[in-house]
Amino acid sequence: MKRIIIDPITRLEGHGKITIFLNEDGSVANTYLQIPELRGFEKFSEGRPAEDMPQITQRICGVCPEAHHMASTKALDDLFHVESTSTAKKLRELLYSSFYVTDHTTHFYILAAPDFVVGPDAPPAERNILGVIAKVGLELGGAVINTRKQNHWIIQTVGGRPIHPCFGLPGGVSKAINEEERAKIEEIAKSSVEFGKLSLKVFDDVVLKNKAYLDMVLSDTFTQKSYNMGLVDKDNKVNFYDGKVRVVGPDGKELCKYAPREYLEHIAERVEPWTYLKFPYLKKVGWKGFVDGKDSGVYRATPLSRLNAADGMATPQAQEAYDKMYSTLGGKPANFTLATHWARLIELLYAAERLLELSRDPEITSTDIRNIPTAKPDEGVGIVEAPRGTLTHHYITDEKGVIKKCNLIVGTTNNHAPLFMSIKKAAEDFIKPGVKITEGLLNRIEMAWRPYDPCMSCATHALPGQLPLEVTIYDAQGKELKKLSQGIS
Amino acid sequence: MKTLVLGLGNPILSDDGVGIRVAQEVGEKLKDPQITVAETSEAGLSLLDSIVGNDKVIIIDAIQTEKGQAGQIYRMGAEDFSLTKHLSSPHQINLATALELGKMLNLAMPQEITVFAVEAKDITNFSEKCTPEVEQVIPEVVKMVLKELNE
Repeated sequence: MKRIIIDPITRLEGHGKITIFLNEDGSVANTYLQIPELRGFEKFSEGRPAEDMPQITQRICGVCPEAHHMASTKALDDLFHVESTSTAKKLRELLYSSFYVTDHTTHFYILAAPDFVVGPDAPPAERNILGVIAKVGLELGGAVINTRKQNHWIIQTVGGRPIHPCFGLPGGVSKAINEEERAKIEEIAKSSVEFGKLSLKVFDDVVLKNKAYLDMVLSDTFTQKSYNMGLVDKDNKVNFYDGKVRVVGPDGKELCKYAPREYLEHIAERVEPWTYLKFPYLKKVGWKGFVDGKDSGVYRATPLSRLNAADGMATPQAQEAYDKMYSTLGGKPANFTLATHWARLIELLYAAERLLELSRDPEITSTDIRNIPTAKPDEGVGIVEAPRGTLTHHYITDEKGVIKKCNLIVGTTNNHAPLFMSIKKAAEDFIKPGVKITEGLLNRIEMAWRPYDPCMSCATHALPGQLPLEVTIYDAQGKELKKLSQGIS
Repeated sequence: MKTLVLGLGNPILSDDGVGIRVAQEVGEKLKDPQITVAETSEAGLSLLDSIVGNDKVIIIDAIQTEKGQAGQIYRMGAEDFSLTKHLSSPHQINLATALELGKMLNLAMPQEITVFAVEAKDITNFSEKCTPEVEQVIPEVVKMVLKELNE
């Protein structure tokens, strides 16, 4: 049999691309960002029964299928004019909390930790999860794997299937849980809370106790004063599953708070000639270009934005961590992009605590799990917080519930403009006349990208099984000066 | 011997779903309780979660190479991924790193991992169908996987 060498194609759609053009003097003239996008989903969904959407939409993304399943199921509640039973809502939120524990765990240890634990200047060969475990110990590595595994068991048990849940129905869920399952979920929740606390301690030891890192987090290069978006409950506390979308300005003042049905009154999308990406912005503030500040409609929808947009966390230990973060960062809102990693860990602890609360809820094992819809379907909107940003599903159907129109704003899309701005600013600050362009320097530019964890065509899992990223720098004559590729052999 | 046949990819993204199509067809032809057939659209750590505890694993996935022809079939061992294993990734970890991590943490890793990959043409447009070039080689890949299972 032939032995082959993997040589992934470097197509435009195939990977994330940051391209930097320099002036004659070596300073940055222009920065461009390309993120691949999948095409034709809206058309693909037309003509299909709306009740299939929770199954279909979760295939859009290989990283957060649970988020699409949940936003879609909520859109169906709205579409069929039916409210879920109280137990069904709690089961959905329980599964969703477990999903958050797994997703935030993966992001922190795989993506964020290598830059800090192994170091931003370490060679790429060491700057990965293996390097992290080599430094912090096998025990923690085992805890990462175990936390994910146990919470995947919850997703499978509650959702009916691993990874791709099939339990969401208009008006409720398809399956109740029994006492034995509940007891096991409670045990897993307890150990997840411990794991959440442990992860915050790792952040404390590795990042906060290292002055150079803390200075980097607080530096102007990684600061961006944009609006913050996040779902909040009736007390304005962070909620991933339900509530209203609240937008708070860089000055900490609330701009608006909207229900899912009102999203089009608040969000518009900007199109630029140099990319097929769309840039959502706040309609009421308006598009003023790729600039931050109170007069620019650019907003962020990230873990840090969610904490900035809320008045606090609904669980005690996460609230404690929330207070500590803002007192360390000098108050609210915090506009430090790298603090997104910290916010993500606070959300991890919140998700685990919420999971524990729900597992102890007396209603959670009730069999009253569905209200059967009786009204004619017409239009529905569902919003949840996906780990990578506010996720909106909007369907319009005929009276038989067949999809006529479908519009989705996915988590990453919200962040296209701020992501671009963060990278541009880092590039301009790090690449200066006379400064040698090293791999560590380019990695620092990438560090402006990582907190957002953009979902580049993440439904695509063609080998080599990772999503490549490339940074290329051109001089004033258009000659390639330096290229840093990750995941491109 | 506990064996896992794992189809990787996205069943609604044209050729990206070829691995899942093959796994489904293989599943229909098998009755051995020692063999599990599964599918997933997740990569990296989730891949590790899926394969732990099996003795033998066969993975079927789509691939895009620089000079490949759509429909071309490759059979590889996990060692063929060593080229990329130490590169960090913007989103997840690749198969080789996941395997190394499993070993490092002393998890019950399979002794044997074989990967069948089919050269894809379209992995950016949503469709439940593969392109004709890929569609026509599915029976052959199914045959290869079944043969591998009998060895």
